[in-house]
Amino acid sequence: MRDYIRLSGVLLIICAIAAVLLGITNDVTYPKIQEQIAMANDEARKQVVPAAESFEALDEAAMADVLANPAYNVVKDVYQAKAGGNVVGYAVSVAPKGYGGAVEMIVGVDVNGAVQGVKVGTNNETPGLGKNAEKPSFSEQFNGKTWDSDVNVIKSGAPKENEITAISGATITSKAVAAGVNQALSLVKELSGK
Amino acid sequence: MNLLVILVSVVFVNNFVLSRFLGICPFLGVSKKLETAVGMSIAVTFVMALASVMSWLVQTYLLVPLGIEYMQTIAFILVIAGLVQFVEMVIKKTSPTLYQALGVYLPLITTNCAVLGVAILNIQSNFNLIETLVNGVGGGLSFTLAIVLFAGVRERLETAPIPKALEGFPIAMLAASLLSIAFFAFQGLI
Amino acid sequence: MNRLWKDLTNGLIKENPTLRLVLGTCPTLAVTTAVFNGIGMGLAATAVLIGSNLIISLIKKIVPNEVRIPVYVVVIASFVTVVQMLLKAYVPALDKQLGIFIPLIVVNCIILARAESFAAKNPPLNSVMDGIGMGLGFTLALVIISSVREILGAGTFFGIQLFGASFKPALIMILPPGGFMVFGLTIAAVNRLTAGKKS
Repeated sequence: MRDYIRLSGVLLIICAIAAVLLGITNDVTYPKIQEQIAMANDEARKQVVPAAESFEALDEAAMADVLANPAYNVVKDVYQAKAGGNVVGYAVSVAPKGYGGAVEMIVGVDVNGAVQGVKVGTNNETPGLGKNAEKPSFSEQFNGKTWDSDVNVIKSGAPKENEITAISGATITSKAVAAGVNQALSLVKELSGK
Repeated sequence: MNLLVILVSVVFVNNFVLSRFLGICPFLGVSKKLETAVGMSIAVTFVMALASVMSWLVQTYLLVPLGIEYMQTIAFILVIAGLVQFVEMVIKKTSPTLYQALGVYLPLITTNCAVLGVAILNIQSNFNLIETLVNGVGGGLSFTLAIVLFAGVRERLETAPIPKALEGFPIAMLAASLLSIAFFAFQGLI
Repeated sequence: MNRLWKDLTNGLIKENPTLRLVLGTCPTLAVTTAVFNGIGMGLAATAVLIGSNLIISLIKKIVPNEVRIPVYVVVIASFVTVVQMLLKAYVPALDKQLGIFIPLIVVNCIILARAESFAAKNPPLNSVMDGIGMGLGFTLALVIISSVREILGAGTFFGIQLFGASFKPALIMILPPGGFMVFGLTIAAVNRLTAGKKS
C-alpha cells in the first residue's frame, strides 16, 4: 500500500510539473495563436472581397434566422464587408458536401450581386482531381457570376453566361462548389433586400 | 441516418488504416497470422470504443469547464494508458482464458495511434456522445477489417517466392498498397 | 568525444529508425505527400525526441521502475503539446497540413523506444546526441520518401513546378497506395544496398 502511494505520488508530481509548464507555454502562445487564426480568416475574406477595408459579423439574430432556414443549409457564417462606413459586399462561409465530405469555402459577393471571389479551403476531396477545386483556374470561373440566375456546371464546350466548366474527373466536387456559390448568392440577395 | 453515415465513412470510405494511416504499426506487426490478427482486433475495438467515450467525457466535463483544452494530448494518453491497464486487470481476474488470448496485445494498444487518433478526431468533429461511441466502435471495426484482410494476404505471402530485398516489410507494404487501392472503390459512397 | 559522435550518427543510417527498424510508420506514410510536410514532421519529432531524451535521462534515477512508462509518456506528451502550440502560433500553415499527426507524435514508437532503450540507460549529453541523430534519421527518411512521392505524384519539388504543363503526374503516388508503395520500395532499396556490408 505504501508503495502504491509512493508511485502515484511520483506520477502526480510529474503531471503537476508538466501542467504548470504547459500552462505557462499556453499563456505565452495563446494570444499569438488567436491572432493567427483571426488573421488567416480575415485574409481569406479579404481575398474574396478585395474592396473591403474591414469585416463585421452579421448580428446574432439575423444569423440565427439564416442558420434556421433550410434553403441555406450549407451556410456557416456571414460577414459584412465594409469600406468607408458603407457595406460593399458580403463574405459568406459555406460548406457544401463534396465527394469526400464537406468542402469548406468562402464566397465573396458585392452589393450588386456579382461574385467577387471564391476561395476553397479545407476539404477531403481526392488529390489531383477534386482537390484541384482549390486552384484559382477553377475558382476564378465564378467571378462575375450574378444572383440573377443559378450557376450551372457543364462538362465540356464553351460555358455560357451562367455556366462554369467542371474539373475533369471531378464533377461532384465542381457541382458542390457551384451549389455553395448559389446558396451564397441567394442569401446575399435576400440580405440586400432584393 | 447520420450514425450510419459515420459508421460507413469510418469503416469503408476513410478506413483508419488504409486511407488515414492510423494504427500502421500493429497492422504490420501482428498481421502475420490470421489468428493473432483477430485477437488483436477484438482487443483494439474494445479499447477504442471505451477510450472514445472516456476521452469524450474527460474533454466535455473536465478540460472544457476548466479551460485547459491544451492539456488534451496528455489527458487523453493517460486515459488510454489507464484504461488499457484497467481492462488488463479486469480480464485477468474474470476470464483467464480471454486473458491468455488477448493479454499480450493489451500493452501494445497504448501506443496504437488509431486509439489516440479516434479520441482526437471525435473532439475535432464535434461529435456528441452517441456519435463518439459509434465512431469509436466503427474505428475498431475498420481496423479489424483491414488487418484481417491483410493477414489473409500475408499468410499466402509466406510461401510465395519473393526477391531477397523485398522479404519482410517491403513486400508487406506493397501488398498493403494494393489493398489500399481496392478501398478506393468505396470513395464517394457517402 | 568519439562516443558522442557515434551516438549521433548511429540513428542516421546504421539504425535509421524508419528505414531499418521500421518504427514510426504512421506519420511516415501520412505526411509524406509533399517534401515541406515531411521536413516539418521530421523536425517537429526531432525537437520532441531531443527534449524527451534529455529529461528522461535526467530523471531516470528518481523515477520508480514500476511507473516509468506513464512518466515517460507524460514527459513526451508535454513536449508534443509545446511543439503543437509553437507551430500553431508561428507556423500555422504547417500545423494545418500535419493536422492530427502532430498530437500523434506522442504515440510515435520511435520516441518511446528511444526513451526506453537509450535515454533511460545513458547520460544526458549522450541522450541528446541520440535524440538528434534519431530525429534526423527520421527526417532523412521522410525527405527521401516525400521527394519521390511529390516529384512523381505532383510533378513538383518543394512546391516548385519541375516539368512543363504537358507532364501528367502519377496521381497514385500522393494517394495512400503510393505511400505504402514508395515506403516499401525504399526499405527494399536500403536492404539491397546494405546487404553486402552485413555478410
